[in-house]
Formats: sequence, structure tokens, C-alpha cells
Amino acid sequence: MPEVNAVAFVVLAALTLGGAVMMMLTPNVVHAAFWLLEVLVATAGLYLVLSAEFIALVQIMVYAGAVSVLVLFVIMLTLRRREDAERPRNLSLPVAAMAAIFAAVVAVTTRAMRLPAAAAPAKAPAVAEFGHELFTRWTLPFEIASGVLLVALVGAVWWAGRGEDL
Amino acid sequence: MKVGLDAFILLATALFSVGLFGALSKRSAIMVLMALELMANAVNILLVAASRYVTPATMDGWFFAVFSLVVSAAEIGLGLSLVLALYRKVRTAELDRLETLKG
Amino acid sequence: MGVLLAAIPLLPAAAFALLGPMSRELRNRAKWVSIVAMSASLALAVVAFVQAWLAPAHGEGARVVFHAFAPIAPGGAFGFGLLLDPVSAVMLIVVTVVGLAVQVYSLGYMHSDERVGWYYAVLSLFSAAMLAVVLADNFLMLYMAWEVMGLCSYLLIGFWHTEEGPRKASIKAFLVTRVGDIGFALGLAAMFALTRSFAFDKVLPAATAWAPGAATLVALLLLFGAMGKSAQFPLHVWLPDAMAGPTPASALIHAATMVAAGVYLVARALPIFVASGVALSVTLLIGIVTALLGGSLALVQYDIKKVLAYSTISQLGYMFVALGTASEVAGLYHLVTHAFFKSLLFLGAGVIIHSTHTQDMREMGGLRKKMPVTTGVFTIGALALAGVFPLSGFFSKDEILASLLRGHHYAFFGFALLAALLTAFYVTRLWVRVFWGTGSDHAHEGHRVMLAPMVVLAAITLVIGFASVAFAGFLGHEVEWPEVGLAAASTFTALAGIGAGWWVYAMGKVDTAEVRERLRLLYLVLQQKYYMDRLYEAAFVKPFEKVAGAFAWFDLGVIDGAVNGAAALWVRATQLSWRFDVSVIDGGVNRLADAVVDAGERLRRLQSGSVQSYQRLVLGAVVLLLAWVMVLWPALKAVLKGA
Repeated sequence: MPEVNAVAFVVLAALTLGGAVMMMLTPNVVHAAFWLLEVLVATAGLYLVLSAEFIALVQIMVYAGAVSVLVLFVIMLTLRRREDAERPRNLSLPVAAMAAIFAAVVAVTTRAMRLPAAAAPAKAPAVAEFGHELFTRWTLPFEIASGVLLVALVGAVWWAGRGEDL
Repeated sequence: MKVGLDAFILLATALFSVGLFGALSKRSAIMVLMALELMANAVNILLVAASRYVTPATMDGWFFAVFSLVVSAAEIGLGLSLVLALYRKVRTAELDRLETLKG
Repeated sequence: MGVLLAAIPLLPAAAFALLGPMSRELRNRAKWVSIVAMSASLALAVVAFVQAWLAPAHGEGARVVFHAFAPIAPGGAFGFGLLLDPVSAVMLIVVTVVGLAVQVYSLGYMHSDERVGWYYAVLSLFSAAMLAVVLADNFLMLYMAWEVMGLCSYLLIGFWHTEEGPRKASIKAFLVTRVGDIGFALGLAAMFALTRSFAFDKVLPAATAWAPGAATLVALLLLFGAMGKSAQFPLHVWLPDAMAGPTPASALIHAATMVAAGVYLVARALPIFVASGVALSVTLLIGIVTALLGGSLALVQYDIKKVLAYSTISQLGYMFVALGTASEVAGLYHLVTHAFFKSLLFLGAGVIIHSTHTQDMREMGGLRKKMPVTTGVFTIGALALAGVFPLSGFFSKDEILASLLRGHHYAFFGFALLAALLTAFYVTRLWVRVFWGTGSDHAHEGHRVMLAPMVVLAAITLVIGFASVAFAGFLGHEVEWPEVGLAAASTFTALAGIGAGWWVYAMGKVDTAEVRERLRLLYLVLQQKYYMDRLYEAAFVKPFEKVAGAFAWFDLGVIDGAVNGAAALWVRATQLSWRFDVSVIDGGVNRLADAVVDAGERLRRLQSGSVQSYQRLVLGAVVLLLAWVMVLWPALKAVLKGA
């Protein structure tokens, strides 16, 4: 759709932010992981609202699919007893304040910038075009990104594979 | 009512702030990594939204967002394996126990 | 001539100047320098005497052979001068002969003393001073040299200053003579006020024109000074104590020369005395009292040197009696003879003491067998003292008696004879106790170097008596040989005294212990020296000590207290300053250092080792920066623009 649906946006935004806040507030690590999953999915919804279907799909596959699972795996591996999942919440007021100020500053600044308010006038490009551009104009970054993934893979395997001695 | 770019910016900012808060205040290393993911996500949202509103035809921001996503994924994979390795060594994933740099 | 005369006192002075600064070791070995100087002075004195003898006479009175005067300030009355006339010529011979004899004798007597070099140095200085007294042409110079003699007397009496006796005696001598010297100084002032000069050739002629009152004042003041130095009553108390010094020094100073200086002074100033008249009577009176006092006290002494000391006092009294009759000749003649035989007696006493190791006559006796030479010369001296013909003492005493008669002082003549009787008696007593009888088997004769000077002095004593007329003529006066009647009277007196002494002491016909018991009171008075020492002690010494104590209290309490108080304050101040330094200065530095350390400790907490805390700091900084740049500054600008 050329226009961003206000209702959809509000709902999705609420889901995203709300999920993020809940993730911070819950004392249970496992619950937090699930909240993260929720946030990642809601974000994918936002991408859809923005007509970025491909990115939404990638979001689901990579983030919601792999990353969340990975996080849960590691949580399990570092948990000795079930009770250990419950942790003190560690909410630091000074940090919250700083984060709030930061947000406020950015908000104020962007306000002054007077960005285009209306919905995107043009139609968003299709996935085919996205793909075409990806492998032509953005080939180099693509290859490098592959390299990055390879390196990360090798590194992760090596680190995780080590025994008691680091 | 139309939703403008500034709404997305506000959202992204708020999300980023929440993630920032978590990264700096949580004791568990895994929690910190998750908060970092939030921040990365916020950035991606901003990128996608900005590209859609400002340069919809060239999709610059969308490509950026994709690569950002890739890097974030690599990062968290590596980060988690580090957490594992650390856990094996010192039997904890609590950040406030790691004080060797203290001085 | 002037150089020759000046050399006479200057040579011994040079000897002192040489010996004085030397180390003890060197000085002891260089003592012969003193003897050489003295010998040279003697030679020159003989030359001067011959010159004086041969110089033609002009007119009555003493003739001046040589006179030179060098004022300190041009045209002033203050200066140094030399006068050679018969009187000074004779005195030169006396001083140099006795001086040399004593120095030679001392080679033996002081041989083993470890400070013998200094002894000779002071002897030289003394000789120089006495010769200066004798050669002075003005009263002021005489006074200055007189004072130097006083110093030497102090140094020699107190030679063995490590012992208390000599120490106290030297101070006593100095103080008592100082009392006299004050009188002398006042006399000089009066003299100067009257004539604006001190010179003999100005003052003495002028004196005849002074009012009797003025002349009396000056004369009495000068007499007072002479009384101090010549140990006349009541300033005689120092002389017996002065026997604490070395015997040869006593021989020189307290028998022959220094004590004679007072006589010399009065002799020189006689015109003033004559102008006064009263002064002459006073002199006479004091002289006779002293003669009797000395003689009586000599009777009860057991210390051989004390006997001789009191004898000296008595004989000096005789000299003053002579001067009191305005007879310069009689006084000076007795001075000369006395110088020779008294120094002889002292030197003899020294040999005896050396040999018997005691000064107490009761421990002596029978020395004539073991010490023949000493006995011989001592006897000559003793007979001279007693006034027996043909020794010198007879002639000089006779001259005094004659002068008394000439002046019609019959009462004094009687007293003088009494004094002569006493003299003969105590001399005999001494002689018998020392030489007669038995005892002292381990006594030995003196060394040659000590005997030789004594022999010389004895020889002089034998012959000089016959020079009385020549002496008088030399001095410009007419004198005759002693008149037979007078000579008989004095000889009789002397023999009576000797006989009585012999009878009591040699033959033991009187139990002296019983006499002492019978005349207990008298004996006590005599033993206590007429209580004079006690009197002086109570009247002068004790009050003075009290005053001195008060001053000492003031000095210690107030002065020292103030000084110490100031010092204590200063110490306090420095303490406070130190404390300030430590607490404030150091404190400041230390506190600064502590603050730095403290700040470091606190800042260290930043290095928590927690990554998240680092991140928080970074976030904080970024937020701050961002807020400022993005929001606050633009807002501030807008506000300022609007305002």
C-alpha cells in the first residue's frame, strides 16, 4: 500500500516498544528471550507496513528464526538450575535517566528538522528489483558480508569448541 | 491520518533507548547481548523507514539495513559463543563478577 | 750617656720581652738570658756610677750628672725622662748588685722548679721596673714603674699559685699596697694641680714656695703611698704573708729593693716634706712605731723567714725615722746597708731551708758544724743587723741615731735605742736556734752557686760601713765619723741585746715556756700580730665581701637572669617557628600530598574493571555533548537573540 496505515503502525509500534520494555522488566531470562522474539516479529510487521517485504522475510528468517533460537540455546547452556533463570532485575535509574535524556535530545533535534510528513508518494519497488540491485550495484558489499559471516562462523565454532582451557 | 517519517524516528529512538538502557544496566551477559539486538533492530527500522520516505526508488537504506542485519547476526553468533567460552572458564555469565581489569 | 742610662732598665726589660712569649720548655732553658741582661745592667751601672763620682760638683745639694726628658705630647708635662745624680747612681749599684746576686743564687735554689723560666722572666721585669723607678726624673714615671713593681711582686709572691697560701698572700700584698698607691696617685694629682708638672726639677724647687697646708697634703699623700710599698704601720700586714714566695725573690723584693722604693720616694720628695714640717713629724712617728712593732713581733716568730720579714719591717721603720729627721743621707745610707745585709740573711735562710727542709727554727740547730760557710756569712749579716762594729749596720744605724740627736728628738732617740735592743735580741735568738746546739745531722752545705753571691754580699757588708762619710759627701752633705759617745751607747745597746739573747737561748737560763705562760696576755697579743689582721678582716674585708656579694647577686640574678630570659625567649620563638614550619609548612605540603593520594584513590574507582560502567561514562559524556550542541546552545542563542 502506498500509504502507511496509521492503525497498523500504532499497533505494531505498541507491540514493538511494549515488548522491548517487557523484555527489560522481566526478571526471568527465558521470558526475556521470548519477549525479544516478540519484538523481532513485530519489527518484521513494521517492515511489511513499509512495503519492505524482502527485509521483513529476512528479519523473520534470521532474527526471529535463528538468532532467537541461538539465544535460547545459550541460555540453556549457561543455566545450572531452573531457579537460576530468575534474576534481580538490575534497573539502574541513572542509566534510565541518561537514556531518556538521549531520547529526548534526539526527538527534539529531529523535530526541528521538519522531515516529510506525508506518506511515501511513490510505489515501493518490488523484490525482483531489490534482488537485481543487490547483485549488481551492491555486489561488493554482498561478498564482503559473506566473508564476514564466514569469519564469524569459523570464530564462533572455534570459541564454542574449546574446552575448559581458553 | 498519515504516519510520517518522524513517527518512525521516534519509535526507533525509543527502541534504541530501551536497548541502551538494557545494555548498560543488565548484569547478565546474555541480557546485554539481547539488548544490543534491540538497538540493532531500532537502527534497522530507522534505515528502512528513512529509505522508504526519502529515497524510495533507489532503496539505499534497505540495502544498508540488510547488511546491517547480516553483521548483527554475525556479531551475536560470535558473542554468544564467547559467552559460552567464558561460562566454561569462570562458571558465571555475570558481568559484575568479571573485574580483572579493575585498578 | 743617655743611651747607656736607658739601657740599664731596658736590658732586663728586653730579657722579659724575650722570655715572656716563649714556651715553658724553651723559657726554662733560656733563663741565662736574664742573667746576662742583669750582668750587663750591672756593668753599665758601674760605668754610670763612676761617671757620677767623677763629675764635678757645683754648689750645694745633689749635682745632676745627666738629665734628659722626652715628653709624650709636645710641651707637656707627661713623658719619660732619665736623671743621673748621686742618689740614683748609688741606687743603681744597689739594685743591680743585689739583683744579680739573687739571680745567680736562684740558679741553685730554683733549679728543680718546673716554671723556673717564668721566675727569671718576672725577676727581669722587676729589675727593669726598679731601675726605672730609680732613674725616673719625674714623679709620674716613678709611679708607673712603681706599679709594674707591684705587679711583679704579686706574680712572685704567688709564684706557686697552686697552693692556697701563696695565692692569698699575693692578693693581700697587692691590695694593701694598692691602698697606698691610691694615696700616691692623689698626691700626684695635688702636685700637678699646684705646679702643673711632675718633674723633680720643677716640683721640688717650687715646693719650698707652697703654703704649708698644700705641702703637707702632698707630702702626706706621697707618704701614704710609701707606707704601702715599704710596709709601714698600718700597711705592713702584707709583708709577713709575702714570705710564701720563693726565698730569693723575698731577698730581692722584700728586703732590698721594692720595699726600699718607698724610702727612695720620700727621700726624693724630701723638700716637700721639709716645706711641710708636719709631714716630717708624721713620718718620724710612723717610722718609730713601725720599728718597735716589727721588732716586737719578730720576737715571737718561729718561722725563720717571718723573723726576717718582721725584721725588715722594723728596719724600714728605722729608715723612715731617718727621713723624719729630714736626713736624706741617713735614710738612704741605711737603705743601702740594709739592702746588702738583709738580702744576705734571706739568701742564707734559703740555703738553711734547703738543707733542713723546714722553715721552723725549732726544728733546726747545730748547723754551724755542717754548714760552715753559711754560718760565717750569715753571722756577718746578723751582726750587721744588730748594729755591731765594724759592720755596715753599725754605721748606718749610728747615722740615724746621730740625726735624731741633732734634731733634738730625744724621746724618739730612746725608742730607737729600744728598737735596736729588740733587734739585737731577736737576731741572737734566731742565730742560736739555728746554728748553736745540736741536731740536724743530715744538713749539708749549700751549693757553690748559692754560696758565692752570699760571700760577695758579706764582703760588701764588711767594708761598706767605712764609706759613710764618702757616701754623705757624694750626696752633697757633710757628715762626720760617728761620735764616740754615741757609738758607745749604740754598741752597748747592741751587746746588751746579744748578751740577753745568748743568756736566754744559748745558755738556757730562762725557761721560755714559763715566760710565755707568765706573760700570757702579752704573748697572745704578739702572736695575733696586735690583732691587726683580724681588725682589717672585720672592718674592711668582710663588708667588702658583702658588697661584692650584693653585686654578684645583681649580676647573676638580674643581668644573667635577663640574658638567660632573653635566651629562653629566643628558644621559645625558635620552637614556635619550628612548630609552624612542621605543622603549617610541612602540614600544607603533606596535606597536599594526601589530597593528591586521596583524589587518586577516588579516581581509581573509575577503573572498576566493569565494562558497563565505562560505557555509562561514555554515554553520559555523549548525552551531555549532544544535549548541549543540539538543544541547549541553540536555545540559548535564540533566547539571547530574542532578548
